[in-house]
Amino acid sequence: MNIYIQAASQISTQEPLNEKWFDTPSYPDKILNESIDPDFKAYIPVMIARRMGNLLKRGIVTSVDALNKCSLNGDNLQAVITGTGLGCIENTEHFLNAVLDNEESCLQPTFFIQSTHNTISSQIALFIKCHGYNTTYSHRGTSFDSCLLDAFVQMKLGLISNALVGGHDEMTPSYFTLLQKVGYWKNTPLTDENFHAADTRGSISGNASLSMVMANMKVPYSLCQMRTVEMLYAPTMQEIKAKIDCMLEANGMKLADVDAVVMGLSGDKDNDNVYKNIMSEVTRDIPVMCYKHIFGESFCASAYGVYTAATAIAKKRVPSHLLYSSRKEILNPRNILVFNHFHNIDHSLILLSCPD
Amino acid sequence: MTKILVTGMGIISAIGVGKTPTVQSLLNGKSGIGRIKHLKTKHLELPVGEVSCDDEELKIIAGYKSSLPITRTSLLGRVAIKEALEDADIDNRRPRKMAFISGTTVGGMEKSEQYYHDFLNNDLHNDYISLHDCGACTDVIAKQYEGKFDMVTTISTACSSAANAIILGANLIKAGYVDAAIVGGTECLSKFHLNGFNTLMILDTDKCKPFDKNRKGLNLGEGAAYLVIESEESMLQRKIKPLCELSGYGNACDAFHQTASSSDGEGAYRAIMQALEMSGLSAKDIDYINAHGTGTGNNDESEGAAIMRAFGNNIPPVSSTKSFTGHTTSAAGGVESVISVLAILNDFIPANLNFSEKIETLSFSPVKECVHEAKLSHVMTNSFGFGGNDSSCVFSKL
Repeated sequence: MNIYIQAASQISTQEPLNEKWFDTPSYPDKILNESIDPDFKAYIPVMIARRMGNLLKRGIVTSVDALNKCSLNGDNLQAVITGTGLGCIENTEHFLNAVLDNEESCLQPTFFIQSTHNTISSQIALFIKCHGYNTTYSHRGTSFDSCLLDAFVQMKLGLISNALVGGHDEMTPSYFTLLQKVGYWKNTPLTDENFHAADTRGSISGNASLSMVMANMKVPYSLCQMRTVEMLYAPTMQEIKAKIDCMLEANGMKLADVDAVVMGLSGDKDNDNVYKNIMSEVTRDIPVMCYKHIFGESFCASAYGVYTAATAIAKKRVPSHLLYSSRKEILNPRNILVFNHFHNIDHSLILLSCPD
Repeated sequence: MTKILVTGMGIISAIGVGKTPTVQSLLNGKSGIGRIKHLKTKHLELPVGEVSCDDEELKIIAGYKSSLPITRTSLLGRVAIKEALEDADIDNRRPRKMAFISGTTVGGMEKSEQYYHDFLNNDLHNDYISLHDCGACTDVIAKQYEGKFDMVTTISTACSSAANAIILGANLIKAGYVDAAIVGGTECLSKFHLNGFNTLMILDTDKCKPFDKNRKGLNLGEGAAYLVIESEESMLQRKIKPLCELSGYGNACDAFHQTASSSDGEGAYRAIMQALEMSGLSAKDIDYINAHGTGTGNNDESEGAAIMRAFGNNIPPVSSTKSFTGHTTSAAGGVESVISVLAILNDFIPANLNFSEKIETLSFSPVKECVHEAKLSHVMTNSFGFGGNDSSCVFSKL
């Protein structure tokens, strides 16, 4: 049985709910980069939206947009699987501040209710009235990857035939400040030109809201086929290499069949060195695609890696601005490997192909 | 379809560190709910199911010798996983491929709330910043066992997190991704969620009374529990004795309200029916239901309605062991799965403490006294979370 990505929808630092970024990206010019939000009213009734934080609204709008593209709704959708590294952190901070400032008295429940990590996934289900499988992964930089694995495995087992998977994270100014103290962010913004040149720790922050529909049937608008999803824990270089070989072999492919490898290069030297080692030891001459220079870094940034690869396959080219070393546009990419890691502990490998 | 077997378990909660004291407390009707000892809160009027050890004592039990900071959530997890791995003799007989899947929602909040002003104003406790998120708590537990796990992830579906970890683990084994998985959850008490539940006015200021007509709410608890589950092939190859089978599970969404459950228990009903269907069992085959049974007005009525819909005239004995442990939130699905398996292995049905009067709309009352010499073939355990994240698991005697 083959599994496909049918549609995707995003809200980020790029123009929302479309793929303009693919040809004419804007380059984030701050360290803490805000999302460009669409007109939420067009998707969520004002009375309902009023009680929702921005992250939740983004989650619902990208979900509804992706589902609409495949004529899916709460009745025929079988799973809502959501990744979020921090959940609705804005609400969490509101409630935490209230608990601390008011010394545990005179508290309102609203922010607490919408602070749990599964708020997004369950509110999506509530909004579209979907009683299907529903879960939330919160595992740092592989939260979204875990969603793909869950959906993929359940489809292989025949438990579900479609799934809405999403990666949603927001960065608040105060959480940004905390993470800056522990080396997550640069002190000055990066430009497209110097993005990969810095020899310092830290990246630039961007929010992530990305929803995708996966299904086990090919349709004319399928973006790509998802051949394999693998997660690894603290692997050695040898283990990564062996895993790549193994997943290619299982698909009757060789390394030479891979047209590009997507890597989460973020401008953070520790993070990037892991990718650079893979380039020199494993993937060698295969062109490397990157995406964090236009979408920024977040716990769910890896969703944009998969999205970038899926979009490139669907649009039958990889534009030069997405390429890392060689900047020669790739035409008709058939197979793209998405490699992601977080702190060199949690890793994922996702192999996408042309749907035919 | 691949059989999923339970080959090891570890547990820590208010009723004991480890399986043996847990069984003793359950058999003797000894609740762990009492006054707050360790949590730094002013709500000392609220009874909780707190683990009796402080962090330093937990470090000793967990064998945590590092000077690196660690959150209480991770410490509880380390205590439970240590027992589970020893129980399944993982060190000496390693499964070929193994996953670690842990549920948590509080994560490092208990330390963040203590040091939040320091985080913002000075550099005294910066180490805890990176330990705040859910995934960090799991990674800190996993780190001790680097080289053992092939993949690690974290589930955060509030009070059903651990149950959903069990479900993912079982699916990964069935799909051949791994041969074994350590699944469950860990959660410590925090001022954050104690106050959160308190603002929702669902905390009883007395000991909770699940399924009682006059129930006033839940008591929060803390703890951790993990099960080692593996394929039959892996179990045979490792020559290890299985404890029981995970014969079925289901996950559905109530899609009704962010914090309230529907009156007909639609999500719970679907999860229960899926679990029954997967296990190939019918309602009359289930010998005991370890209910979610929080003791809130809403949950017990909704869960009761779902049980009535699913079991009709064949409602088996039902009890909520949250009357012993308190509601261990993200760990609850693990704690109660371990308790369910312990009930199968030790032939008893744990009591539902503090019950006196039946809920009028329900056709059943919970088990008031511990039933000894109960031969249990199939036990169902329910875990429901905020957002209508409802899951149900069935464990079967071998």
